[in-house]
Amino acid sequence: MKLASYRPIALVLARELLITGLLLFGVSLVVFTILYLAPGDPFSLLLEGQMPTEEARAGIREAMGVPKAWYAQYLSWLGHMLRGDFGTSVRTGLPVLAETLRVGFNTLVLTLGSMLVTLLIAVPIALYAAVRGTNWLSWPLTMLAYLVSALPVFWLGYIVLYVFMHKFGLFPLAFGFASSQKLSWLYFLLPVLVLGVGSGTISEVVRYLREEMGRVMEEDYIRTARAKGASVWRHAFKEGFLIPVTEIIAAKIPFILGGAVIVEQVFNWPGMGRMAWQAAQDRDFPVIMGIAILAAVFVRCGTLLQRVVYVAVNPRASKE
Amino acid sequence: MTSTPLLNIEGLRTYFYSRSKQAFIRSVDNVSLAIARGETLGVVGESGSGKSVTALSVMGLITAAPGVISGRIEFTSGGVARNLLENLDRYVQLTEEHGRIMGVAKDAAGWRKNAEHLLGRVRGKEIGMIFQNPKAALNPFTTVGKQIAEVVQLHTSHKGVGEARERAIHWLERVKIDSPRLRYDNHPFGLSGGMCQRAMIAMALSSEPSLLIADEPTTGLDATIQSKIVDLLAELKQDIGITTMLISHDISVIKRLSDRVAVMYGGTVVENGPAAEILAGDAASRHPYTAALLASIPNETHVREKTPLLAIEGEVLDTINTPAGCRFYARCNRVTDKIRQQCERCEPDLREIEPGHRVRCWLYFD
Repeated sequence: MKLASYRPIALVLARELLITGLLLFGVSLVVFTILYLAPGDPFSLLLEGQMPTEEARAGIREAMGVPKAWYAQYLSWLGHMLRGDFGTSVRTGLPVLAETLRVGFNTLVLTLGSMLVTLLIAVPIALYAAVRGTNWLSWPLTMLAYLVSALPVFWLGYIVLYVFMHKFGLFPLAFGFASSQKLSWLYFLLPVLVLGVGSGTISEVVRYLREEMGRVMEEDYIRTARAKGASVWRHAFKEGFLIPVTEIIAAKIPFILGGAVIVEQVFNWPGMGRMAWQAAQDRDFPVIMGIAILAAVFVRCGTLLQRVVYVAVNPRASKE
Repeated sequence: MTSTPLLNIEGLRTYFYSRSKQAFIRSVDNVSLAIARGETLGVVGESGSGKSVTALSVMGLITAAPGVISGRIEFTSGGVARNLLENLDRYVQLTEEHGRIMGVAKDAAGWRKNAEHLLGRVRGKEIGMIFQNPKAALNPFTTVGKQIAEVVQLHTSHKGVGEARERAIHWLERVKIDSPRLRYDNHPFGLSGGMCQRAMIAMALSSEPSLLIADEPTTGLDATIQSKIVDLLAELKQDIGITTMLISHDISVIKRLSDRVAVMYGGTVVENGPAAEILAGDAASRHPYTAALLASIPNETHVREKTPLLAIEGEVLDTINTPAGCRFYARCNRVTDKIRQQCERCEPDLREIEPGHRVRCWLYFD
């Protein structure tokens, strides 16, 4: 690739990053407003069982330095965040940024792993069906993919837990990092598999990729590739594989994150979803805000990847 | 013809199945053609007469089912004749009733595998092909140059990247693309239709094949570009002397480039002979369809004298229910009372009326 061909990619990156900034601002405002309007606040929880008086509330507010009006609260949070300070958790007192990044990494491992599982299952089925059409093998495989995708994650998670851990004891029960058992890394496998299979993405990948690859295989330029004795796959790769796959990944990240919340609960995985759940229970506003922002960043990363791949692959798009 | 022809097609049948009509579409029905080394065979006919399907059958590029169902395609390279449809009967079973094909049982996967095996050494290397609508026929995601260099690397001894690049630029120069070094890095969308077709021709020739199949090379291009492409093909024919199968519905293109002409109608060859005799000879010695086809083309006299053009009456042959008799009978204006019954009932054979000139018409049976 020549240097000039990186220019459109840089342009797209710049544009997308600008959009990301605006989006994060919007997300934070919306989440903050919802939190403010929702019943309950962290202070009543801190003072739980202590028969809080208005004075005690005011006192603790003051002690924590929280302004009263909601916009003042938001602006103060925003100001701190822009300086890289997400505040501290009301419940644990730990810095929110470090905590969310720590659990965010765990969730990233879970999400990327499950995506890999999804692609490993779905892509061969889709490509086989795209080339061979509906036959005795592709039809049952496709149906199986649809069926598996219809299984709800929480159900699948508990069934898997029951079968593999309680019934056969194949996997250690504690989370990998904490356990001293030899095969503790195996523990990673179960939640990753469950999320990969159960997030409903398999059927989407199969359907979309099969359609796209099937369409591309009918294109004139694939016939040309065949006529010149070149590899059909090589020529179909960009339009028939790379673009659709990145598109689905980008579109499916929010759903996978949603599934991750449940899987993390079920498997006791110290990730973002579990922390968000806990924070919501505690009305731990700074943590909720931090996680909302991080989740939005994840989703944007997917879109960013898709845009960059699209522009890098498609010379026409870069001319626009 | 003295030596063995480069390509010899015998009794090729390519049928498709129409689900909505529950019947076979006989796109190519018993076609026999031969192309001698060094000559250009022009294949003419209306749309739907089976010209392109014949070419695609040779290249094994038929994707719709059932596709090629019988025949022989013999391709000679390096002194060895190979049947590109070898083992066809192993994968395709025909059920015939009263001489009509009622059903086809085809092991599509096995057939495809066999075809890939047979054609692996031929496609691109021995037979190059250029298509109509060049903009769609080039991969829009790769630069034109890389697509040509790919062929060079695959099929010639220039395996190195830089070497292949130089070779590709050489071919781009050869097809008279201006500033070939710049065009090498262009994507097809940045080129005009004419340039894309030039690039296609460069790509087909870059493996130095022994046969070039040009499937409607001027269709979909502007009139001025068309004539330039024809000029280019004529020039290349002189310089390289490559054997060509030229498919076109444009008689002027065929006239300009062909040595021999095959006229196709309704999926079969109705006339086959030297170009000069068929296209320029007198109407009396031609197949009625060829005569009608030539009369339907505007020429200078028509324009000058403002005489109306003679369209061919009737519809294009329905290739699902082919008649028992001559395919052109329903539209023929030269049926005489003497042969009417034969025309209606039996299909004539291709009969040689002069050396190397065959016509499928009862008029020439005495």
